[in-house]
Amino acid sequence: MKNGRIAIPSQGNGGLDGVRSGHFGHCDVFTLVDVAEGEIKEITTVPNQEHAQGGCMVPVNLLAGHKVNALIVGGIGMRPLAGFKQVGIDVYYEAARNEIKPVVEDLIAGELQQIKSDQVCGGGGG
Amino acid sequence: MIKLLLVTPPVNSLGDFVAALRLDADVELLCAESGQAALKTADEKHIDIVFANENLGDMTGIELAEKMLTVNPMINCAAVSTLSSEEFSEASEGLGLLAQFPANPDKSMAEELLQQVKTIMGRVASSVKRET
Repeated sequence: MKNGRIAIPSQGNGGLDGVRSGHFGHCDVFTLVDVAEGEIKEITTVPNQEHAQGGCMVPVNLLAGHKVNALIVGGIGMRPLAGFKQVGIDVYYEAARNEIKPVVEDLIAGELQQIKSDQVCGGGGG
Repeated sequence: MIKLLLVTPPVNSLGDFVAALRLDADVELLCAESGQAALKTADEKHIDIVFANENLGDMTGIELAEKMLTVNPMINCAAVSTLSSEEFSEASEGLGLLAQFPANPDKSMAEELLQQVKTIMGRVASSVKRET
């Protein structure tokens, strides 16, 4: 990824040195990483919203509103994945590491894969 | 205005439930008698929520919710199902269904559904508004 904005569901205050959240719908904040010419330029965070049953489109719209281009998750339901696809946000899969910085660096380097249909999970979707 | 698509065969057990939906001035009720008809309607019109009976003739309500993702994943879905809660959770994994309803949902359940939909629609609207 050379240019764009990456979102990472995060625990606590988030940030590049923060820790990822395993469930994007229930994360505390989204860490947003702006990338220009393959370099990290700016880090911001946006609070998640309260998650209700069936409300998995709330973070989809939240991130679309923040002009996010790519999302890195450890799991996602079929419906929110379809929602992200509809709003033009690419969803990448990385389930092994909890730290934010190395997975961001891997995405920039083109070493993360977009999530596949057999990696979609359940649990209410969001 | 909530545009609610009710999907159920003509002979059904949703009388009290539907009557309660019709009483809400914020609801525009549209109807379809099969899953395929519902998919066609959702493809042609703006729909906020689909409420599906358990057996639609050509598919189940849960199957409709899955197919609805290919039409518009932004549409909220709820379905009648007589499965146990565990079986329902497994069958509807990842579909983001609002709720499971019993075979004969009553007036109070209609009111709860509408309240849930209004809450979610409000949150979606605020998440969009925040950035405009």
